[in-house]
Amino acid sequence: MGIQIDALKCTACMACELACGYHRDDAFALLSSCIVPYRGREKKNYVGVILKEEDSLVAARPEGIEINRIGEEQDPDKEADASAKPMLLRESCDLCDDVDDGPLCITFCPTGAISMA
Amino acid sequence: MEYLASDKIAIVDLGTRNITEDELDEDLVLDKIGGAGITKHLYDQYAVENPIVLGTGLLTGTLVPGASLGVITAKSPSTGRISHVPLNLDAGMELKYSGFDYIVIKGTADKPVYLWIHDGILDINDADDLWGKDTWAATDHIRSEMGDDLIQVLGIGQAGENGSDLAQIGINYWQSADRMGFGKLFGEKNLKLMAIRGMGLLEISEPEDFMDDCAELIATIRKNPTTQKQGIAAAAAALGEEDLGDFLDPLTHRHMACFNTPVATNTFIFTEEDPALLKESAVPEPGFLLTDIFPLIVLKKAGLSAKDAGILLKACAKYGIDGAAVAELSAKSGLTDPAEIEKSFPDLKGPVESTGGSVFSPWAAVGKEINENWERRQAVAYILGLHPIWLQIATELTEEKLLDLAGLGTEMEFTPDTLDEVIGDILA
Amino acid sequence: MESRSQETEFRIPKIGIYTGKGASHSWLWFVEIFERLGFYDLSFLTEVDLVCGGLENMDVLAVSGGDTFAIAEALGPQGANRLKAFITRGGLYLGSCAGAYLPLNSSKEHLNHFNFVPAKITNLTKTLPQNHGLKEKFCTCYGCSYIFHAVREAVEVTTSGMPPFGVSTTFTAPLYGGPPMTVTNPASVLATYTDFTHKTLFLVDRKLAEKTLLGNAAVIREKMGLGHLHLFGPHFEHPHFSEANLFLTNAMMHDLPYKTIPAENPEDGMAILAGSEKKGFIRDFKRELSNSRIVAAGLEMIPLKWTIGSKVYETGKIRVFLEALWQRIRSFERDGSILVRAGEDDRLVQTALHVTENIRQIKKGWDQKTDTLETATALFGLLNKTSALFLGIYFRSKLFHSVLENRI
Repeated sequence: MGIQIDALKCTACMACELACGYHRDDAFALLSSCIVPYRGREKKNYVGVILKEEDSLVAARPEGIEINRIGEEQDPDKEADASAKPMLLRESCDLCDDVDDGPLCITFCPTGAISMA
Repeated sequence: MEYLASDKIAIVDLGTRNITEDELDEDLVLDKIGGAGITKHLYDQYAVENPIVLGTGLLTGTLVPGASLGVITAKSPSTGRISHVPLNLDAGMELKYSGFDYIVIKGTADKPVYLWIHDGILDINDADDLWGKDTWAATDHIRSEMGDDLIQVLGIGQAGENGSDLAQIGINYWQSADRMGFGKLFGEKNLKLMAIRGMGLLEISEPEDFMDDCAELIATIRKNPTTQKQGIAAAAAALGEEDLGDFLDPLTHRHMACFNTPVATNTFIFTEEDPALLKESAVPEPGFLLTDIFPLIVLKKAGLSAKDAGILLKACAKYGIDGAAVAELSAKSGLTDPAEIEKSFPDLKGPVESTGGSVFSPWAAVGKEINENWERRQAVAYILGLHPIWLQIATELTEEKLLDLAGLGTEMEFTPDTLDEVIGDILA
Repeated sequence: MESRSQETEFRIPKIGIYTGKGASHSWLWFVEIFERLGFYDLSFLTEVDLVCGGLENMDVLAVSGGDTFAIAEALGPQGANRLKAFITRGGLYLGSCAGAYLPLNSSKEHLNHFNFVPAKITNLTKTLPQNHGLKEKFCTCYGCSYIFHAVREAVEVTTSGMPPFGVSTTFTAPLYGGPPMTVTNPASVLATYTDFTHKTLFLVDRKLAEKTLLGNAAVIREKMGLGHLHLFGPHFEHPHFSEANLFLTNAMMHDLPYKTIPAENPEDGMAILAGSEKKGFIRDFKRELSNSRIVAAGLEMIPLKWTIGSKVYETGKIRVFLEALWQRIRSFERDGSILVRAGEDDRLVQTALHVTENIRQIKKGWDQKTDTLETATALFGLLNKTSALFLGIYFRSKLFHSVLENRI
């Protein structure tokens, strides 16, 4: 069981990032979230979602999902290399195991881009 | 002010380069709530110095659906009225997390400057490298120099630098909701742009109850079919305007939402690339993010194709001129070639109808008459920090509900009477 | 000085933390533990400080993770002599990961000055085993041989229960290249590796990992003269492992010098910054810290890494330094006056400015697809320096205020 992301439904509203940040910090903040809409290509409108799981880094790109096991060597031609341990300081996803209604990112995503697998 | 705030007001004197900081007094918040309630108060306090006041709503940056809004309050050079313009996309959120609740900008710099606002620090930096650049080049420059692609830039292009009444403060590369000519004010003050980035944290007074209410709201909202349609065309239709879907669909790449806003009211069209392309385009500028409904409707009626409309509005954004005004004036003149219209930018003058007749930017008024009900809903949006188009659609977000949430978030009590008073002040 | 064996008057120990060449970021974890204990008398020592007698007045020296060879080379024979003198007169050496390798007997150049502990490591080999992942973190050359790292992340350790270190308990601690050891005297073993966890990452075949680690020493304690060395393979000081922290603390408290060095007045020789002067200084420093932090937050999404010496650094480690400083800025702003040495405040701001410049350079390098190794090498050195400078001021000021409170 885990988080599933449909990047094409994502509108980069960041509700998931804020909800996850709340789960980590009991306040509204964005630095601790393990799920982050990638907004760095604004002019090109290239938007995806990155999720740090315990053993892997999920990059939900518009063209498809990429899952990199953290710690394993990756194809040197591919841009994302999880062995470099992105998001080092962020905790990995715990599926909001202490929240009655489950993952907050799913609760607050307005478009249904995030669901439970 | 302990909750939902950074507890800081900055007073920036561009002339002396002096910056003073005040605490955000809880009594002020009890009295004026937030957003335009307080920016108006601060404007009145410094009125003789013709200030520009930036702020955020009380709920901005929280998980209340649509809580994305920042506000700019100033005297409009076009209308002469104290007016309020919404800061949408991610700019309002970033301002909220930047460590400042409100920023008063007064005085005039002796040479071009920009403000760098980050984590409770406000720097006035020289803008010699930036003056003369269009908004895209300026945004790229700042992000490259500062080393971060997520810096939000509120800036002017040549329109503002040259003192055009139609000059707009843009948000990053895109058109904003500034129909009031605030870009001219920036130019008059020699203020090229404000760069904002923050890693702040907002404490919540009753976090569990607050979150439960937000979760309940979003669950209700998801059941409303109106809120399930995305994009600028859908937003236009929801506001009672004509459907722009057929016009835009062939070029539509994706729909983008403002911060935490369930309905994406912006649509990115690809004018230089196949819109069906999903992987990252190799073209550096494949298209444009449409953020304003009104100019699209006008340009469509004038006979421009969606592609030409996109190209023209991109040129407007770069030049820093209000696309709605350009659309209106070029429709009147009969010009339809984007390149020709662009050539006319330096000579375009108002008055234009697109400034509307309210103190609030009519950006969210498309298809609706600007009447008392509309103004009240706008006032609520600007005070509490909700997306003004979204608040027109989301009838679930009643005033009562919003005041409840404000109370849960801040441990303060806000009554309908207080809200009435604040709205009255703003509209006076 | 004798180690503590009975109830006695307790003074805050003077603790040196190595932050010089070869040190990575994990010394910040020691800082966190000591701060929690209220041990504010901290000094941040570079190799130059150590060589020039910086240990004279110390009770404890903590050397955490990094590049053992670089540390040894930087300290050299003079540093080794200083260290030996420090321990033999009663000082306590806490070595974690690279700091644990340092005093183990070795014939290798630079390391051979530090032959204080006759323990062997079990991860030394002439023929490298097959690697199952994280190639760049898997091994280090050791002359004609290799030191290989069988696993990373959380492992299970069990304490020996040797008195006076309480009963035998089992908990987890993170292993990031530290040594599994064997000793001739079983009484030296304070904890052994006993199992792996579901978070353990295997870099070699599991059977080999079991053979290399399980049953071997994770923590050893050696006496040298009047002092002691505590050598930790895993990072017992990592802030996410509270039971390991507790064990480290208890062991340290037991072997603190009997009579700690009397505390000096922290304000001696210092300038006191207060009011607008303090405000201006903090603002200038906070500005650069914020500037750096903003870039670092963006960089942490980027899978960039550098091999500096024999250690691999990732972008996320930049934030480790910056967050350690940022989380302390608030109390720094709130607390009263601060104590600085002459020019220290300006030096700190300038160093922080250089950090900003370098980190922005790395971002530019990434965007333009140019090499960033040189910049990264400079950056991590600067981060160590900035952190040590700031924390020096921070803890000196904290100590001053706590001493003042006690005087009242």
